[in-house]
Amino acid sequence: MTCNVLIAGVGGEGVLFSSVIIARAANFEGHEVRGTQLHGLAQRGGAIPTHIRFGKKVHSPLIPRAQADLILALEPLEAARFCYFAGKGRTNFIVDTYPVKPVYANLFDQPYPTYEKIKQMIDPFAKKYVFVDASNVCEQKLGDPVDGNMMMLGVAIANGMLPLKKESIIEAIKRTAPKGPDEDIAAFRMGLDYKG
Amino acid sequence: MAFNPDLLEKEGKKVVLLGNEAIARGAIEAGIGLSACYPGTPSSEVGIALSSVAREAGFYFEWSTNEKVAYETSAGAAFSGVRALTAMKHFGLNVAIDSVLPTIYTGVKGGLVIMVADDPLGHSSAQSEQDTRFYSRMGLIPALEPSNAQECKDFTKLAFEISEKHRIPVILRTTTMVSHSVGTVKLGKTPVPKTKGKFVKDPESFYCIPPALQKLHERLIRKIDAIEIEYEYLNKAEGEGKTGIITSGVSYQYLKEMENDLNNLKGVKIAKLNMTYPISRSFVTKFLKGLDKVFVLEELEPVIENFVRALAKDANPRAEMHGKDLLSRIGEYNPETIQAALAPFLKAKKPDFSMHDAYLKKVQLPVRKAVLCQGCPHRSTFYAVKKVMGDQTIWAGDIGCYVLGIQEPFKMEDFIVSMGSGLGIAHGIQKVSDQKVVVFIGDSTFFHAGMPPLANTKTHGTKPLIVILDNGVTAMTGHQPHPGSDFTGMGEKRIPMKIEDIVRSFGISNIRIVNAFSQKELQLAIKGLAGSNELGVLISRGLCRLYMRRLLKKQGGEFVKFQVAPGKCRKCLECVHHFACPAIIHEGDKVYIREDMCWGCGVCAQICPVGAIIPAARRKKK
Repeated sequence: MTCNVLIAGVGGEGVLFSSVIIARAANFEGHEVRGTQLHGLAQRGGAIPTHIRFGKKVHSPLIPRAQADLILALEPLEAARFCYFAGKGRTNFIVDTYPVKPVYANLFDQPYPTYEKIKQMIDPFAKKYVFVDASNVCEQKLGDPVDGNMMMLGVAIANGMLPLKKESIIEAIKRTAPKGPDEDIAAFRMGLDYKG
Repeated sequence: MAFNPDLLEKEGKKVVLLGNEAIARGAIEAGIGLSACYPGTPSSEVGIALSSVAREAGFYFEWSTNEKVAYETSAGAAFSGVRALTAMKHFGLNVAIDSVLPTIYTGVKGGLVIMVADDPLGHSSAQSEQDTRFYSRMGLIPALEPSNAQECKDFTKLAFEISEKHRIPVILRTTTMVSHSVGTVKLGKTPVPKTKGKFVKDPESFYCIPPALQKLHERLIRKIDAIEIEYEYLNKAEGEGKTGIITSGVSYQYLKEMENDLNNLKGVKIAKLNMTYPISRSFVTKFLKGLDKVFVLEELEPVIENFVRALAKDANPRAEMHGKDLLSRIGEYNPETIQAALAPFLKAKKPDFSMHDAYLKKVQLPVRKAVLCQGCPHRSTFYAVKKVMGDQTIWAGDIGCYVLGIQEPFKMEDFIVSMGSGLGIAHGIQKVSDQKVVVFIGDSTFFHAGMPPLANTKTHGTKPLIVILDNGVTAMTGHQPHPGSDFTGMGEKRIPMKIEDIVRSFGISNIRIVNAFSQKELQLAIKGLAGSNELGVLISRGLCRLYMRRLLKKQGGEFVKFQVAPGKCRKCLECVHHFACPAIIHEGDKVYIREDMCWGCGVCAQICPVGAIIPAARRKKK
């Protein structure tokens, strides 16, 4: 069975880093890995969906519609935006309550939707959803909100939403951030211990 | 993610690589001695990967000034017997093609591979949904098309072997979803690269003037015919049945992904074309025999389809043919588009996403468009130019991060055509109209294609106001160096060329050089240039803030942040509606600056009419 993870977020939040960690960890465990990583224009404050798929045999780099097993949303609005890939009874959501208001919403005086509203939007497509204050907690405890992405991975594994071993994730972090994996690993462990 | 340690992993290891990284690895496994590229999404990571390992792996790498020069540099190495790779986006090949076509005639001594990435849908490309495969047909250039990361690596290596054996440059053609897809790759051996060669005079090959030209043309046709026969085996057929599907690239992967949803592809035979020029007539003819129905799945134009239709006239005239009657020539495909197109013919269900579609229609999420980064020097320049020049000016756009000036609230790119085109078109407009025109051109674009139209404008006497946005690097594609940068593709320091020296040498003396983060300097200079009767050039200089942030982070530093002083803001919303920095948030009746997002350019403090924006106290890092 292929596991399909969609990471949604905004440029600069560590979407790419998270996807590399998952891809490496899955590779360490002997899975075949496929996925997408969009670079370029998409990075400049745009919405970035990154697909990671692993299993015995995977073909398409894109997750087929409604077949995501996990949507890791590093930004709440983006969780709602990519319900496109979610399916009731299949998709778990982990959402970082760390909003980045789009410039166009400021320009046209649109309010940012409340989390209640976002939960309502996600609900018809979710098996389960967890809202975590990951970036804020990481900013308080580690001094940098960007570590929130690793805390989210911890939450995913602790909740059985990402079928990978925590050791593989830690190995992947070490391989990917060889100069300073400490904060990322600390954030990941905070996610493993998270009770929400 | 600039450096991936897996790029130089040992033979036999399985690693996950980006398609573009896999191409870089394939080139290393082929033993390249040189690579020269100009960055362009979705091809840039080939060069980024090669640049990051060139020194350790022992070959030469450069970011050339444009794709044509990059190609010529690579061709020079290949003329001298050294294997070389150049990588570019589809429009890059338009720039390089003038030199590519003759070298297909002359041939090469060392292997020469041109990696070209198309971008259906235009994920990161203004301009057009160009289908590069036509170039192969125009210039008789062999082309391989990988469909995943493993093939990206393997086909690159193979392309070098074909190129060297038949002494002809070979195209490795990808699309965004191949170049920017990741996948498991089993690595092969990396030989010691051959970096030294010798150019041996060879008039029989290199004199492409008549009458020898026709001999070279004839020789080229013979090569293509030989390649078509020799590499028939590269194309793969699988399955058995009366229905045939001919496909290539990522469409093949989408088809295989949807196998279960397409009645397990029962009674279906698939042909995967890995060499898409020349397409093996023998392979396709054999494949077509006995089929009732034939489908061709390919993104963009019906290149394979037209070929197959022509061949079927003899090979199997009674077969029912489908292709672009079912699938669009516009945009890119995904697993569902393939499923939807084939389902009615394969006794399978069409996908039903009515619930999703209804949802997407109902929820009106605020759009999140790509915009200039917080702290971007271009935002400051756009703001100042608009303040001084007003809304009625014609804004000549160009290619680079500053295409994002097309977005609200600036809307300061009235046309975006190609690298360096803004100035050329502005000159034409001014020859036939009295309108004011401001031309925006970036530093990398200036070196790439900005100098010829500048010389032309000066020579022929029009006077657009030229604004050169100098942020020090080729920013949009990930901060590659250009001649105005202080480092090279090999990671060495160098003395940058100064754009003002070049402009001056063209006989233009009306030049103002300003700090892009100073509104006072900017607006004063623009007023001066706008009021002058000479051709004027403004060089607005300010390092790319994203790049500067990375440099600063390496040193453990941080920007001074700004904040809205409590009680001082009058809610005029100048900063929100006219400056539109992503770090300035307007929610309810509050305007504030997000400390975590502010990159400290301080321009908002300069434009606030009541001085309500001030530097914040430094944050303590725990």
